[in-house]
Amino acid sequence: AQQQLVCAACGCVLAEGLLTTTYAEEEHLREVAYSQSTGQKEQLSRCLQRGIRRVQDLCKVLQLPTVFEETAVSYFQRALQHPSFHLVSLEKKELLGGCCIFVTCRQHNWPLTMGTICSLLYVKQELFASVYLSLQKELGLSVPALSLGDLVKTHLNSFRLFQHAANVPAPFVEDKEKMVARTMQIVELASETWLVTGRHPIPIVTAAAFLSWQSLQPAARLTCTFARFCKLAGVDLPPPAHLRLKELLEILLRMASQLAWLRVFNMDKKTVVKHIGDLLQHRIFLLKNAFCLEDEEEQRVVAPGEGSPGSPPAAGGAAQEEGCPSERKRQHEGVPRPLLPPCLINPRKRLRTAAPSASDSAITGDEPISDSEIEQYLRGPEEIRAFRKAKAWP
Amino acid sequence: MDGASPLERYLERCGGQDDLSTSPQLFTPMSPYDVDLPIQTTEDVLFGSQFNQPKELPTDFSSVDLSFLPDITQDSKEQNLSEAGHGMQKEFDGAISSRNEDSSIFMDESSLSYPDATQPSPEASGVCPPLTPMTPMTPVTPASESSGIVPQLQNIVSTVNLACKLDLKNIALHARNAEYNPKRFAAVIMRIREPRTTALIFSSGKMVCTGAKSEEQSRLAARKYARVVQKLGFPAKFLDFKIQNMVGSCDVRFPIRLEGLVLTHQQFSSYEPELFPGLIYRMVKPRIVLLIFVSGKVVLTGAKERSEIYEAFENIYPILKGFKKAS
Repeated sequence: AQQQLVCAACGCVLAEGLLTTTYAEEEHLREVAYSQSTGQKEQLSRCLQRGIRRVQDLCKVLQLPTVFEETAVSYFQRALQHPSFHLVSLEKKELLGGCCIFVTCRQHNWPLTMGTICSLLYVKQELFASVYLSLQKELGLSVPALSLGDLVKTHLNSFRLFQHAANVPAPFVEDKEKMVARTMQIVELASETWLVTGRHPIPIVTAAAFLSWQSLQPAARLTCTFARFCKLAGVDLPPPAHLRLKELLEILLRMASQLAWLRVFNMDKKTVVKHIGDLLQHRIFLLKNAFCLEDEEEQRVVAPGEGSPGSPPAAGGAAQEEGCPSERKRQHEGVPRPLLPPCLINPRKRLRTAAPSASDSAITGDEPISDSEIEQYLRGPEEIRAFRKAKAWP
Repeated sequence: MDGASPLERYLERCGGQDDLSTSPQLFTPMSPYDVDLPIQTTEDVLFGSQFNQPKELPTDFSSVDLSFLPDITQDSKEQNLSEAGHGMQKEFDGAISSRNEDSSIFMDESSLSYPDATQPSPEASGVCPPLTPMTPMTPVTPASESSGIVPQLQNIVSTVNLACKLDLKNIALHARNAEYNPKRFAAVIMRIREPRTTALIFSSGKMVCTGAKSEEQSRLAARKYARVVQKLGFPAKFLDFKIQNMVGSCDVRFPIRLEGLVLTHQQFSSYEPELFPGLIYRMVKPRIVLLIFVSGKVVLTGAKERSEIYEAFENIYPILKGFKKAS
């Protein structure tokens, strides 16, 4: 092929060689394999095509807006070109597609949980997690946190309690709007009282949904257990949800102890459900009184709550005069306990490794090493013989 | 708020543009200046306002969580703002240049990935753009405040080259403290009691020593393992001893709102409660990864030198303290 002749002054091309699609110069007169031609690069590989189709199908299954599909596909293409993902197994490539969808949803605040996408892909969450984290790092994506409010709405959508059905007794059917609103409030309450940070979000939403459902018609529903509720609603009962329920009830009981007109009743885990509506309505005031702020320097605000009759200052004041208990001690109801995450209130007894002792700190690393110390780690001849016999070692 | 500083007046103007009250949502989409309920109620306490019903989202910015800013008086607020901005600029440049040099896993590329994040804007008009760069690249530390807490070293990983080929079967036969399962792992696992450590000894003569609580202990332990190998008849040397990783931990003694931290330091943080209860903070300078938990416990790892752990903790402590006020 002829070289190109270009004018040095104006840059216009005077003569052009034959256009080729080879990498090497044609002087070598070799046949050009397709894989070496630039045509290879312009077409999408079959693997990529299949991956893109899968991503698109998943978006349709999840009923995501079209713009999500485009974004996810573009992330997927970028990711597959990246050296860390280019050669992984097909299973991982499919997982990668799911990760791209997950990231896209999060960036648009669409509350898709990892659990959902893992079940759609039939993969284990650990594997998904590792691919997701490397995707985030390699592509440098910033992924906003899961929006709890949106999650509540989405999760409640899957509950089958809003319409009459054969297996759902009439008093169990509930109005969706009311239930969503109250569940949101309970989840908020959980968040304010440290029950949400560091925990898996779905069990909290499930427990909150149960409490809100019970409290909307306590007479008919108090006898229904958590497990039965989930079965009727057609949702899973994740194992931590029982603990979240217990923690929520403890918070509510403490709040109830600060409401004057409830003090006459002996509240327990069942009866407090009946009053969740009131507790939620006055929650800011009740939280301030039921829990002392951890920092003793801060003023304890005993302000007149909106609309709460009775004499909280009198009762609350008495409780507070007893003084804020030490942070790690558990107090019985009525006396304010510090508002702390459960892991700080019930610390598991752990063997604390002692701080380095003086003798440890004096080690220089260059101390002489005695022969006897080393010899204790070596086997004697009889031992070796016995060992050899036992293990039949050469 | 009356007697407002220039900052507050500016924020009020921005606040007026946002129509947050139309949103029924209480957990609003991520944008550092959207009101998130936990922060809102405590901001009420801080600013001494009356009890609000949480449904009514305030349209003024008195509830904006500015806790990541250092403690400052009314007068110096604006001055500190520009300082932080300049500080950020310098660190940003620093981060870019070090990014080009390094290819290590600790470099957080997400710190420069704003084009990818499609951040939803609040209901009405957008958040004031000039405020977005406020999140400093490395935290602006208040002048002389040191935490008074010293992270404790928990584990040191070091490597050394014994510079001779080793017969692992032979070692496993002649040493009491050795384990060797070639089907499972291609190295002898040896342990000594003092310092309490574990070593992986490979047939190439390379050795990894883990479990020591200080650099000196790690070196002493590695020497002891080398002596054991010598006594077994191999011409072991002690070449290229190097500390590869140091892990430290400490407790700041107050609970931390991880959801808040991930919002204000998004470019460094990864908080996925579905995956792991702690927040993973990839600090750029020094290049340390911190695991921050709601209990206030912090794990620091990735250091080659002890000073990096201490420096990383001194950097993170003011940030964490900023979140203490919100609890």
